[in-house]
Amino acid sequence: MQIDIKHVAKLARLRIEDDQLEKFEEQMQDILGMVENLPEISGSEFGVDPSCPMQLRKDEITPSLRRDEVLKNAPEVKAGCVVVPKTVEQ
Amino acid sequence: MELYTKSAAELSRMLRDKSCSATEIAQSVFSRIDAVEDKVKAYITLTRDSAMDQAKAVDELLAKGESLSPLAGIPVAVKDNICTKDILTTCASKMLYNFVPPYNATVMEKLLAAHTVMPGKLNMDEFAMGSSCENSRFFKTHNPHNLNYVPGGSSGGSSAAVASGMATLALGSDTGGSIREPAAYCGIVGLKPTYGSVSRYGLVAFASSLDQIGPMGRTVEDVAMLYNVLCGHDKMDATSAYREYPDFTANLGEGVKGLTIGVPAEYYGEGVDEEVKTAVHAAIKELEAAGATVKEISLPSTQYALSAYYIIASAEASSNLARFDGVKYGYRAENYNGLIDMYERTRSEGFGDEVKRRIMLGTFVLSSGYYDAYYKRAKLLQMRIAQEFAEAFQSCDLLITPTAPSTAFKIGENVDDPLKMYAADICTINVNIAGLPGLNIPCGKGANGLPIGMQLIGPKFSEATLLKTGACYEKIVGGFGPIPEIRA
Repeated sequence: MQIDIKHVAKLARLRIEDDQLEKFEEQMQDILGMVENLPEISGSEFGVDPSCPMQLRKDEITPSLRRDEVLKNAPEVKAGCVVVPKTVEQ
Repeated sequence: MELYTKSAAELSRMLRDKSCSATEIAQSVFSRIDAVEDKVKAYITLTRDSAMDQAKAVDELLAKGESLSPLAGIPVAVKDNICTKDILTTCASKMLYNFVPPYNATVMEKLLAAHTVMPGKLNMDEFAMGSSCENSRFFKTHNPHNLNYVPGGSSGGSSAAVASGMATLALGSDTGGSIREPAAYCGIVGLKPTYGSVSRYGLVAFASSLDQIGPMGRTVEDVAMLYNVLCGHDKMDATSAYREYPDFTANLGEGVKGLTIGVPAEYYGEGVDEEVKTAVHAAIKELEAAGATVKEISLPSTQYALSAYYIIASAEASSNLARFDGVKYGYRAENYNGLIDMYERTRSEGFGDEVKRRIMLGTFVLSSGYYDAYYKRAKLLQMRIAQEFAEAFQSCDLLITPTAPSTAFKIGENVDDPLKMYAADICTINVNIAGLPGLNIPCGKGANGLPIGMQLIGPKFSEATLLKTGACYEKIVGGFGPIPEIRA
């Protein structure tokens, strides 16, 4: 299996510098080689473990964090909102 | 005897009969930190002032005659991927180098409610991805038994701090062996609890279907005491189980008479060092002499576990780590041109190589055209592995295997070879894949003087059986040895 590092990096929103590309490609190829030895297994369904069923909580209003507490870790904040670079041209 | 050398159980008794104070315990642990931390380097953040305040508060409550949890006043340090309100929580990553959580993880709330004292936050492999603590973006942690060797990972700061007396107990997290392998390398006890028994609310997620928080300590009783505080249902974690838990310290003296121990041949194969096999077999013999029945068994799908694990864990990691985008918290690149460029630069500069490799692998196995061949097959294999364990537990109460295929390796020995590094996890990952509890118990030393560990594996929610078996072995060997002298 060949892996297109640049394409996968783009999907993952990562940038692999050109001088790192070869090393990454080699290591990823090795890792893929390792994980490829899976046997063919019959069966098509997998889901939640029946011995440990999840129980969803009720949709209730409960106290939550204040806006200023949540925003204090954001790299850039203006008027109570996070700031990102402009995404739409006028 | 210095207080930092004592177990949580001893300190708890001493606090009650007033032969020491919580302040003296905290002072002793910090004096030990002052003496050896610059050599071991287990802590990312030390919280000396708040710890001394917590200790003082315990002394005041005890003086008033209040009845507190057995862990009140005991120093419990916390791995740096567990959120601590108003205290830096970095995951040992540049991505979260400045992240100060506005809330506590549920386990942290439980530690505070039990009046434990927190000396600080512990080093780890970045985002818990690694087996040596060498992937920390800040510094490497050293094995207290020999500073040239790794302490294991990813909870390497936790194992090194406990083993060197810089904490009485610690919290670790375990996705593929990250509590048990470092516990084995540092010669301490580490429990990866049953999936669903400890809330992960506030644990920075790596692979959500595998992650568990668990206790690490120098004796089985200490680990049981901390597990008593950690387990229980939490409405903030939808995967946490609804059930009642017993007092895990209550039956530690019961012994192993009547228990059947399974020995799965696949865990004693080629990749495992002879000295490790010899030590684990010798420990099993001791338990047999103490009244347990020993039985050879087979878990044939073991050979595929590493593949299934890296597919499932990486797939989940690639989704979980998508949240680190430079917008809401943590690192943001300085120079960028537009939103997508900001994401890419932030993530490329913020994540280290191992994290990038796993995100890339996860993205690949989930990408269009490959999902069926990799992720779906791995999930089906996960079910088969769980079934094989369930069949084994029809005739066995627990299984014993090596925890790691060798003793700790030298710092730098495996850093450029991901596959060699991954092999350190071959004995532990199955337990996560099947959602079972696993307990590391020290069982001797290798030719290099470094500890060897055995792994006790049981059915879901069988922690009491694992802990009493570990306690029985601990009694047979007369304890797991003193805290090593730290030599430069």
